[in-house]
Amino acid sequence: MDKIIEIKHLRKVFGTNEVLTDINFSVSKGEVVCIIGASGSGKSTLLRCLNLLEYPTSGEILFHGQNILEQNMTTAVYRAKMGMVFQQFNLFNNLSVLDNCVVGQVKVLKKDVAAARKTALEYLELVGMSQFIDARPHHISGGQKQRVAIARALSMEPEALLFDEPTSALDPEMVGEVLKVMKNLAKSGLTMLVVTHEMGFARDVANRVVFMDEGVIAEDDIPAVIFNNPHNERTRTFLKRILEP
Amino acid sequence: MPADNAFFPWVVFILQEYWPLFLRGAGNTLLIALSGTIIGFLIGVIIGVIRTIPIDHTISALKKSVFKAVNFILLCYIEVFRGTPMIVQAMVVFYGVALIWGIHLSPIYAGILIVSINTGAYMAEIVRGGILSIDKGQFEAAHAIGMTHGQTMASIIMPQALRNILPATSNEFVINIKDTAVLSVISVSELFFMSKSAAGTYFKYFHVFFITCIIYFIMTFTVTRILRYLETRLEGPSVYTIHGSQTVPEAQFRIVGRE
Repeated sequence: MDKIIEIKHLRKVFGTNEVLTDINFSVSKGEVVCIIGASGSGKSTLLRCLNLLEYPTSGEILFHGQNILEQNMTTAVYRAKMGMVFQQFNLFNNLSVLDNCVVGQVKVLKKDVAAARKTALEYLELVGMSQFIDARPHHISGGQKQRVAIARALSMEPEALLFDEPTSALDPEMVGEVLKVMKNLAKSGLTMLVVTHEMGFARDVANRVVFMDEGVIAEDDIPAVIFNNPHNERTRTFLKRILEP
Repeated sequence: MPADNAFFPWVVFILQEYWPLFLRGAGNTLLIALSGTIIGFLIGVIIGVIRTIPIDHTISALKKSVFKAVNFILLCYIEVFRGTPMIVQAMVVFYGVALIWGIHLSPIYAGILIVSINTGAYMAEIVRGGILSIDKGQFEAAHAIGMTHGQTMASIIMPQALRNILPATSNEFVINIKDTAVLSVISVSELFFMSKSAAGTYFKYFHVFFITCIIYFIMTFTVTRILRYLETRLEGPSVYTIHGSQTVPEAQFRIVGRE
């Protein structure tokens, strides 16, 4: 399979705190990988390293075999191909829903405004937000914001989409609408990397589940093995704590 | 000439006699305050933006040291002009420029120059504060879709930051209208200077400055009202249109926003 991202010996240190010790894994085209683990295990940092929002201390991130940490590829070009959805949505507060999805296409991909609007509308339609194109971020609910954020990322037509706990900041009743959109995206064959606490989503939708613990990948397997018969004792303890409170 | 102890007749008399003086003074005051605030605002925006450029691993060592030097110079400018009285700056700049470069500025231009660089020093910190107050998530989201720092600032951050610092900017404007009075020390023919001339003729200081007081207040009050209106305009629409609906696709609703 065509590997989109391959990570080798990734290490990230904040001051004296070693958050990621030695991360090795890869994501192939069309794969949906869920990253689970306790708070502080380095899941979000790993995802943020993949988008260079955090710069890795050492190691390699290969994008189609090319190391993006070398200077031969500009960060902006790479980031445009790697969409990101945040826990706090981070919609641009000064722009309407439509313009949130247009601005990146025009500024980064240099598309003309009409074409960018057309693309934006398609993806807003896909997430069920095309009625609200004139609204400002403060007008709409959390679930709606997150769906717009997904449409914004999709409008850049990225090769993979990174989700950083996309439902953690939502009211329980709004989690469903976002997960539904994500499920449909997964079915459409989009490559997705999802940091999540939604074990149901990980079990049903993911092709692979990665369990992280104290800055390392403790287990990386198909959901059936992770959830039913984990090989690692720490995975077992974590899941027991999460699933049977 | 009115009787000595008649207050309002004197006020009316002085107004009749000296209204062109008051008008010219007020005009000059507004001119200096307005241009000083606008130029100072632009200085502040430029410095504020420069001082918030992130220094990270992508910047070479040479650029980094150039950057630090520039930052140091800007910091000196801010500290010096915030830390000394404008009345003293006026003297130093006006007579300094004449002595060192032999340039004899006309008092009005000297006034605009002094108010501009003084306001610039304050605005630089106001703008920097405005930029720092924008949620980090706004930067991250823009970077995550591949926007450069410049694009992020221009399209996302500055529109929000400038809107947020508008109250502080109108504050500066009002302060400038009042503080141009100190420029009378370099003979700028602004309102205070003109009032002094008017008062000297009949020695009616209270009457004249009573009028001056009212003129200053009218100017500042008008300016704050205008800027407040601008602020509400920049807040953006509080209503928006919902396009189509599940059952009647061509229907359009207007719903009231949650503000």
